[in-house]
Amino acid sequence: MAAGAAIVCSFLISTALAAEAPKPNEYQVRAAYIYNFGKFVKWPAASIANQEDAFTICVLGEDSFGGILQATLAGESLGGRPVHVKRIARPQEASSCHVLYLNNAAEGHLKETLAALDRISVLTVSEIPGFSRRGGMIQFVLDGERVRFEINRANAESAGLTLTSDLLKVAVAVWGNGRTGGH
Amino acid sequence: MPRFKPLPAVLLSGLFLLQFEEARGAEAPADVKASSALTQMSLEQLGNVEVTTVSKEPEQVWRTPAAVYAITQEDIRRSGATSIPEALRLAPGVEVARIDADHWSVAIRGFAGQFSKNLLVLIDGRSVYTPLFSGVYWDAQNVMLEDVERIEVIRGPGGTIWGANAVNGVINIITKSAQDTQGVLAALGGGNVEQGTGDLRYGGTKAKGLHYRVYAMGALRGPEFHSDDDRFDHWRTGQIGFRMDWRRGGKDDFTLQGDGYLAQSGERIDIASFTPIAEEMLDDKAYISGGNLLARWRHSMGEGSDIQIQTYFDRTNRKDLELGETRDTFDVDLVQRARIDGEQELTWGLGARVSPSNVIQTSDGVNFLPHQQVDSIYSGFGQYVLPLARDKLWLTAGSKLEHNNFSGVDYQPSVRLLWKPSQHQSFWTAVTRAVRTPSRVDQDVQFLIVVQATPPPPIFFDIVGNPKLKAEKLIAYEMGYRTEVHRNVYVDFTTFFNTYKDLQGYGPLSLAASTTPPPLDLYILLPYENAIEGRTIGMEIAPNWEITRWWQLRGSYSFLHMDLKDQPGFNDVGNLLSSYMGSSPSHLATAQSRFNLPGHLEFDQTYRYVSGLPEYSVHPYSTADARLGWRTAAGIDFAVVGQNLVRPDHPEFGGDPGPLVQIKRSIFLSVRWAK
Repeated sequence: MAAGAAIVCSFLISTALAAEAPKPNEYQVRAAYIYNFGKFVKWPAASIANQEDAFTICVLGEDSFGGILQATLAGESLGGRPVHVKRIARPQEASSCHVLYLNNAAEGHLKETLAALDRISVLTVSEIPGFSRRGGMIQFVLDGERVRFEINRANAESAGLTLTSDLLKVAVAVWGNGRTGGH
Repeated sequence: MPRFKPLPAVLLSGLFLLQFEEARGAEAPADVKASSALTQMSLEQLGNVEVTTVSKEPEQVWRTPAAVYAITQEDIRRSGATSIPEALRLAPGVEVARIDADHWSVAIRGFAGQFSKNLLVLIDGRSVYTPLFSGVYWDAQNVMLEDVERIEVIRGPGGTIWGANAVNGVINIITKSAQDTQGVLAALGGGNVEQGTGDLRYGGTKAKGLHYRVYAMGALRGPEFHSDDDRFDHWRTGQIGFRMDWRRGGKDDFTLQGDGYLAQSGERIDIASFTPIAEEMLDDKAYISGGNLLARWRHSMGEGSDIQIQTYFDRTNRKDLELGETRDTFDVDLVQRARIDGEQELTWGLGARVSPSNVIQTSDGVNFLPHQQVDSIYSGFGQYVLPLARDKLWLTAGSKLEHNNFSGVDYQPSVRLLWKPSQHQSFWTAVTRAVRTPSRVDQDVQFLIVVQATPPPPIFFDIVGNPKLKAEKLIAYEMGYRTEVHRNVYVDFTTFFNTYKDLQGYGPLSLAASTTPPPLDLYILLPYENAIEGRTIGMEIAPNWEITRWWQLRGSYSFLHMDLKDQPGFNDVGNLLSSYMGSSPSHLATAQSRFNLPGHLEFDQTYRYVSGLPEYSVHPYSTADARLGWRTAAGIDFAVVGQNLVRPDHPEFGGDPGPLVQIKRSIFLSVRWAK
């Protein structure tokens, strides 16, 4: 009887859940996050990206995520600037980008890629495991069915970016606090 | 198993032209309407959004210049399929026919049969195509369907990468990484044909980055309906296995996996006996056992470049009243993929396979000489992807060169062109050469059929293998088009024109007499020859319509016309022309509907139309399956599946001696618990 009750209960719970809105996919949520990061990160006034008329999100290499970003962020603007999504072939082209998204394919040569970004004030975002501890700034992590992120503050600050406390407090982990870590 | 040279499927998915991942996922790009609301959310709100996870780079299908389709885990689950051949019905253009409870014919673009010689099948990069009979023993191939990540089906030749026998298609069954099968899973099912099935799996983590799983599965199936009441097709299988995946430092992936199995497959055979001389029809069982161990190391070198080494050992044993065979296969493959200047891609590989086998003669009528033989294949291939216009036009060219012990050296080149005028539209075209190399059944068999026992002298048909038989050759011309007609409607269209030469047939009859042992016996010798040529044309179309978030419709239609004839000097002694042309349906249509109902209920239906097979006097038939599933929040799923609901029974294929076996309406229930 107990088992029967449990099944009935779970039926009710699942019915309630099903009534909610359909689930977006993880990449749409990532895209929305990236857009949101734009509100909570300050780029140095002198950075090349900041001279541009658009808020530019770049995707390195061949990646379907570019299309999802484009679709999700179509028509959006940030601080009065339209959001542009751009695909670049090599990291050196990132100087006009505010955000650079690295896909999993970049994992094998992450060190070289990040080294090429030295002196460029670009927010690096990726889902590569360990990204935030291997020189990256923001790393998406999947927490069950939810997308969360980790931050490496030192890496961001050494690139001249300022992260607001609103961003830091939402992160599931913040590395390189007090400019200690970050490698 | 020397005649073909398949390469590691997991890498191959990346190799075949440009990473083909999740063919179907690609049709469902981001749901744009839901996403605009996402950008209005705060960071905290985003962190609480439940998402569906998608596999990486689904868009690659738009850039694959071949007719590819991926059957996903979700597709398999929603179909109610309980075996690999049943799951293969989900892909367009795959001709799956159940011969009886434990035998199938699975073919692509014609030439169907219990051993479809033109179709290469791999499980996690391990070939299951037997060089004894040129085909797949489906009754020995079991995979825990819950652990399948996807089944990639390539229609058309894939010899440039996979090697010989990938003539009309390639099927890659790819299981999940151990990382994706953590926790406990237990599943039980039962019904009238699926009498009892049980799956058990446990997945855990050892050290950092090291995941493993172990599983056990068993099934009791059959029989189907027999008009003569002779229920020979009982199928029993038991299998255990493991897989370990270790990711080290983000650059190196190691996989070690293995399986061991035992099976009994009921069958009816027709064999010649010498004492007394007679052609007998017997109920029999094939005793099947085997095991395999596979290791793979993949090293990523960044920018889409990697190198992979795979090696495996596979033992198969099979014995029935007709014949027995024990075979060991040792295989090693190396594949490297290198990106040059970010856009060009060079893939090359080397492979070697050595496969000693021992044939056990168990009947008077069937023999292979010599009994012991070591088969081998050595191969190399290279393929280059050259972008002709950035993000718009690509040229892919390459060839395989391989040597096998049956027909020597063969080359299998291909040239493919892909044009992607917009993000969700692509055209491709290809010209490919592929070969089906002879196997032991073609070169070494001796197969006797009693024509007349009395009055003396006894007369036999004697089908004799021909050691000089050459490879069968195909030159294929293909064209394909994929498009997203509307945000929710995706269509994949392919058409092909195949020209075959040197297909296997019979040479002129001759007469022989033997007096050892006395008295006199007469033999009508039927030698195999490369005697048939011809062409096939056809098309496949597969639309997919996601009507709403909760209702998806999919369809497929394939058309095939075969036009074969004798090569000069031959005159179709064994009536093989009609056999080749009459064993595959000209028309095959399917429709699937999937509803996600409130309360985590799923209601799925499949409809299938298959035109008749003159060779076996199988009439056209329509049939339908339905599944009602309920996923509870407690991790327990229930499902009721009804198959072949339209009629009590219908035949799908011939092949067994005696009357056609009728495939029954079947119902089964299943419960699955995952934690």
